[in-house]
Amino acid sequence: MTGPAIDVKNISYSYQEKKAVDDISFTVAAGEILGFLGPNGAGKSTTIKMLTGQMPPRSGTIEILGRDIIKDRVAIQADIGVCFEEKNLYLNMSAKENLDFFASLFGLKNVDTEGLLERVGLADHADDRPKDFSKGMRQRLMFARSLVNSPKVLFLDEPTAGLDPSSSLAVRELIAKEAESGAAVLLTTHDMEEADKLSNRVAFINEGKIVAVDTPENLKLSHGKRSVRVRLKDNGKVKEEIVSLDDVDAGDRLKVAVGAAGLMTIHTEEATLEKIFIELTGRGLHA
Amino acid sequence: MNRPVSRGSIISTIIRKDLKEFSRDRFFTIMTVAGLIIYAIMFWLLPSTVSETISIGVHQSGLDEMFEEIAAEENGGLEFTSHKSSGALRAALGLGKEEPEQKLNIGLDFPEDFLEKVALGEKTTVKVYTDSNVPPEIRLALSGWVEEMAYSVSGQALPVNPPDEENIVLGEDRIGNQVSFRERMRPMFAYFILMMEIFALGALVAAEIKARTVTAVTVTPARVSDFLAAKVIVGTLVAFTETTLLMLLINSLGTSPLILLTAILLGAVLITGFGLIAGAQGKDFVATLFYCMLFIIPLAIPAFGVLFPGSASVWVKAMPSYGLINTIVGVTSYNEGWSEVLPELSMLFGWCLTVFAVGWFILKRKVESL
Repeated sequence: MTGPAIDVKNISYSYQEKKAVDDISFTVAAGEILGFLGPNGAGKSTTIKMLTGQMPPRSGTIEILGRDIIKDRVAIQADIGVCFEEKNLYLNMSAKENLDFFASLFGLKNVDTEGLLERVGLADHADDRPKDFSKGMRQRLMFARSLVNSPKVLFLDEPTAGLDPSSSLAVRELIAKEAESGAAVLLTTHDMEEADKLSNRVAFINEGKIVAVDTPENLKLSHGKRSVRVRLKDNGKVKEEIVSLDDVDAGDRLKVAVGAAGLMTIHTEEATLEKIFIELTGRGLHA
Repeated sequence: MNRPVSRGSIISTIIRKDLKEFSRDRFFTIMTVAGLIIYAIMFWLLPSTVSETISIGVHQSGLDEMFEEIAAEENGGLEFTSHKSSGALRAALGLGKEEPEQKLNIGLDFPEDFLEKVALGEKTTVKVYTDSNVPPEIRLALSGWVEEMAYSVSGQALPVNPPDEENIVLGEDRIGNQVSFRERMRPMFAYFILMMEIFALGALVAAEIKARTVTAVTVTPARVSDFLAAKVIVGTLVAFTETTLLMLLINSLGTSPLILLTAILLGAVLITGFGLIAGAQGKDFVATLFYCMLFIIPLAIPAFGVLFPGSASVWVKAMPSYGLINTIVGVTSYNEGWSEVLPELSMLFGWCLTVFAVGWFILKRKVESL
């Protein structure tokens, strides 16, 4: 397959009168992580539902691995992995039984489910039931479940929501590894830090429309200030200086600042993804 | 690219998972096992015979000849005994100080001057004692009988000319072949087991919807129809197996096993349909219980109709469970064959199709809307 792993063209979806997704288009290449950012109700989950074949778009086309989601839904579903925001595990079945069950649904025998559990740090809990797991453990099991068929495309819906920092870090590392091994990843989140750290590109979605798609770096550069804020302590007083990188003497001024005895901090003035989102949509991600 | 998976393989995978979940649900496991054992024990403890004889004690003087004649003619289950005094009669009725060995059902206490007063055309009083178990129609008949006797003794004709009677029994004449309480409870127990499974299946389906595990299943190569088919098979299989097991425990498959198994299978499909509806509506345990009770209570009416003959109205015949209950009663109590139960089975089949289709439709829509 030479084209993008996910190719979305002009899809829309309405719930009665309300347009949940309004004519959006984007692509995700193999090995790429696209962060899908937007506040609750922006259309992220509806988009995921359409992309995973849970409901057909009202208009537009979706191609996953070069096949149409409506015509080849079942075949596509054999090659995708989905990690839901809800921890929809079978609580009365052990971690290993959960994975074995889903492997069977894909018609796969002899899947190394124990190896998968080891990858997500649950090898010692293979025979324990998720009802006794912490939130982080359940999330890691959910992630392991989404990998049971070695998917070429991964849909991850808020994979670190509500997790403690160490669990979040563990899940992020797993996601990055999957992308490194060639899977296309669509990651929906409203955690800017997560999107910034993980994504090759991010798409901002607001009120069903994509308002920007680019790499985090480009977004920050295009919407931020090319300047550096320097804080110095001079004769007991804190002084702050902003050095514009477009100024002719910017290099010299920074050299002086870095060499100064009273240098306290030095920061670039690039915008955060959150600020860019607010600038573009007029609302915050947690609105 | 992963290979395509057959529908059969997917459905059997979901069935195995459902059965595993069923067996691990302590509440339903205990309910099911305890239900089977308790119902079987209760069945065998219930009386299996029916006393069809009504014992009538009489205290009178001067009417010996008449009562001897009546006793000699009577073969319809009335047993006459004579008592020397009012006190002896009352004692035999259980109204004395000591409890009699065998209590009379009815007592007729004629006053000592009955003959004289009747002959003189004077008013006299006969005390008629009846046990609370004696049906009201027999109590009324006794009063009429005593009046008739008084006219006869006085040599007068009745004030009206009674018409000639032709006794027509509606339905099968059960004289000498009455259904015992144990027999009457048999369909009730079968119904209880089936109804337990409405709740079990409803809870299983509701849990999948509430936890959204069904969504996780349907983004794999499994379709919504695979999920539904597995639930239908599991529900029917569990309900059919348990009810059949109960029927074996209460020794009720012996007469016409094929008819009974057909009825139980249709009953299992019927309750599966109701289970799908209840499961689709129930958001949690209590809500599922509520929706199950909405079905269980009205569906029990035909079974109560068997328990209390004459209490059910004609509309009961239109109930979905009527065909099931009546077939079980007909086969186990009256040895009915295919030709007799076919109308009931056909009606049950019709209800199965209807309820099943409604259940499938409602649950499918619910799953697709998640």
